[in-house]
Amino acid sequence: MKSAEYIANLWRSTRSTLFRRLFLDRQAEFWVREIDPVHTLTGIRAQVVDVIAETDDTKSFVLRPNAAWRGHRAGQSTLVEVEIDGVRVHRFYSISSAPGQALISITVKRVPGGRVSSWLHQHVGVGHVVGLGPASGDFVLPTPISARLLLLSGGSGITPVMSMLRDLAARSAIEDVAFVHYARTRADVIFGDELEDLAARHAGLRLIVCVDDDDDAPRGFDEAHLAALVPDFAERSTFLCGPGALMDRVEKLWADVGASHHLQRERFVAAPLFTPLVASGEGVDVRLSRSQRRVVTRGAGTLLEQLEGAGERPANGCRMGICRTCTCLKHSGTVENLVTGEVSSEPDQEIQLCISVPRSDLELDL
Amino acid sequence: MHLGTAFGSGAGSVMRPGPGTPPCNSHGKKEVSMTHQNKTLTREQADAFGRELLALRQEVVADLGERDVEHIRRIIRAARRSEAAGRVLLHVGIGPVSFVLGTSALALSKILENMEIGHNVMHGQYDWTGDPDLASQRYEWDLVCTGDDWRHSHNYEHHTFTNILGKDRDIGYVMLRVVQEQEWKPVHLAQPILAALLALFFQWGVGAHDLRIDELFAGKQTSRQFARRARPFLTKATWQLFKDYGFFPILALANAPRVALGNLLANGARNLWAFAVIFCGHFPEGVRVYDQAETENESRGEWYARQLGGSANVEGGRWLHLLTGHLSHQIEHHLFPDVPASRYPEMAPRVREICARYGQSYCTGSFRRQLGSVARRIGRLALPGPRRPVAAKPVAHPAAGRVASAWIGRRAA
Repeated sequence: MKSAEYIANLWRSTRSTLFRRLFLDRQAEFWVREIDPVHTLTGIRAQVVDVIAETDDTKSFVLRPNAAWRGHRAGQSTLVEVEIDGVRVHRFYSISSAPGQALISITVKRVPGGRVSSWLHQHVGVGHVVGLGPASGDFVLPTPISARLLLLSGGSGITPVMSMLRDLAARSAIEDVAFVHYARTRADVIFGDELEDLAARHAGLRLIVCVDDDDDAPRGFDEAHLAALVPDFAERSTFLCGPGALMDRVEKLWADVGASHHLQRERFVAAPLFTPLVASGEGVDVRLSRSQRRVVTRGAGTLLEQLEGAGERPANGCRMGICRTCTCLKHSGTVENLVTGEVSSEPDQEIQLCISVPRSDLELDL
Repeated sequence: MHLGTAFGSGAGSVMRPGPGTPPCNSHGKKEVSMTHQNKTLTREQADAFGRELLALRQEVVADLGERDVEHIRRIIRAARRSEAAGRVLLHVGIGPVSFVLGTSALALSKILENMEIGHNVMHGQYDWTGDPDLASQRYEWDLVCTGDDWRHSHNYEHHTFTNILGKDRDIGYVMLRVVQEQEWKPVHLAQPILAALLALFFQWGVGAHDLRIDELFAGKQTSRQFARRARPFLTKATWQLFKDYGFFPILALANAPRVALGNLLANGARNLWAFAVIFCGHFPEGVRVYDQAETENESRGEWYARQLGGSANVEGGRWLHLLTGHLSHQIEHHLFPDVPASRYPEMAPRVREICARYGQSYCTGSFRRQLGSVARRIGRLALPGPRRPVAAKPVAHPAAGRVASAWIGRRAA
């Protein structure tokens, strides 16, 4: 057994070395992509097979992923990669479809000024190919499924809990589910028709949609109103996803009644997290994700100088921004390019350490 | 032709190049007169000059987008298709016609891979796309030189210390005397033959460049250091030899000798071409060299001035630009090494205009002229002659130490 495994591993590594050294991997990848841009040899890619307008500002994109897709659990999200004017951009989106199907869907609300969501709405149609990351996240239903559930969402935060509800429905596992959703108007309720349909077909599903323009209910989230609608909320296994303000109040309520351990949360961010900027020269906290170390900057030096001053030895060359030896992936935070004055605040952008100064706390791939 | 008065406080002293009269080369036969045409800039002037070039760079960088990605993907597609066509013709073809066509197609793909794709991608010209296939620090090219060695010896050393004697090891590739400022040694008598050999086996010269064999002989590096440097190169070279003269010929069965010969000729054609392009970029008449002292504390603006003074362009059409990887725009490449090279032709007129205003000569000429100039130099400098001192910089740096931090050139390690 062991020796067979050894031989198999040796064969695989030899084959991959051989292919790489003879540039055959690159050739194969190129020709496969020429023939079919979806079924590539490396990475997960998916083709858009349908686009569904859910509300005025929300669309669902139904995707057919290639064989590299390993499936998802209800509630998980995936990193979607699109190319906008030549630049690859990534955003996490919750998967709204139930697991175990050949097709998956993401549901995207168009955010004013949001580069990716606007682009998906405007430019991505049937036939378009996007890149995907493996499904990730631990905002998932427990196994075995708790009998009494509360799925609580606001706005486009409905997407991961919708995946959960669809999963439960497909498995005929809706025993006692309270589904509470907050939206601005009736027309803004994503999946409204499907929710009504599910509620009609499943006796165990109690659907409560709270919209701001209802006359007989308070605007937005209200603790007393929720307690009246779902009196046993504190005993239910609860899954929460929505805007920050809603989540804060729900978290506080659950904490007040001592039920925090029942609450599972998924924070979604429509745009990159805002990081407060500091003046050039002010000390910031630099996390190095690979070495798991931290550096606190002092004075006005470049990132390269700061890291070296703290005993790190990042690769570098010209020290004036031309050779790119010190190019490094910045996972988060904001830096300013000393030569050009450009500010980089998008997550996962490559920066040159030798000509960048930190303008916020950072996380670097070092 | 004097451009010496072009920059100054006097109103109306701005000089622009006349139509068709490039500043440095119009009838350049005499070397001495050529290298002194540049007006020496004070640090403030150099920094103002650099700022204008940086502004031009920013303008182009802001405009980068889909068409630049489309360009490089189109070139990659052309290279891969050309390679496939070449291999099919060599592997299954019979007779001389398919042999010549197959070898040419393979040579074309190797030239594109070397010049427009590999060289430019490894400079980081497409890092802004975020496409892992175009990532500068991970790209590996179809050449015996390893990507890592190239990034070190070329992107860092050559582009940082361009044309500084004793620091830029690309000046004559340490073996040839290509400028009169280099000291003559008896070995230079053989340099016409050495140059021809270097041209034929150029990828091996490039591949072994970063091993610093000369330093091993001079006792400046230990054999242990040398062995550590040599290992990645030897590994890659072995695989490359196996690929070109083992794997692909064996795949062709009875056509094995034909395939091996085709690969050899395609590699040779690419070698000759790359050698010619690179030697035209830095060693024709009109390009100057610098000594270490004068560049010690140079500002970023002075770095720009040196990149201009140390580079020469080759004039030609779109195809010449593509096949040289746009190193026909060597000047623009040295000023903006990480801007996509296909943008150099549109930047060139603006660069020339800026150069003219600052009294800086802009060396350009036809391929024949530049190559002929280099060839004559290699021949003439093979013979013993006095070492000419590097043109000294007469102006002191009044502003030294007071330059805005971003404009200080290299920061101390």
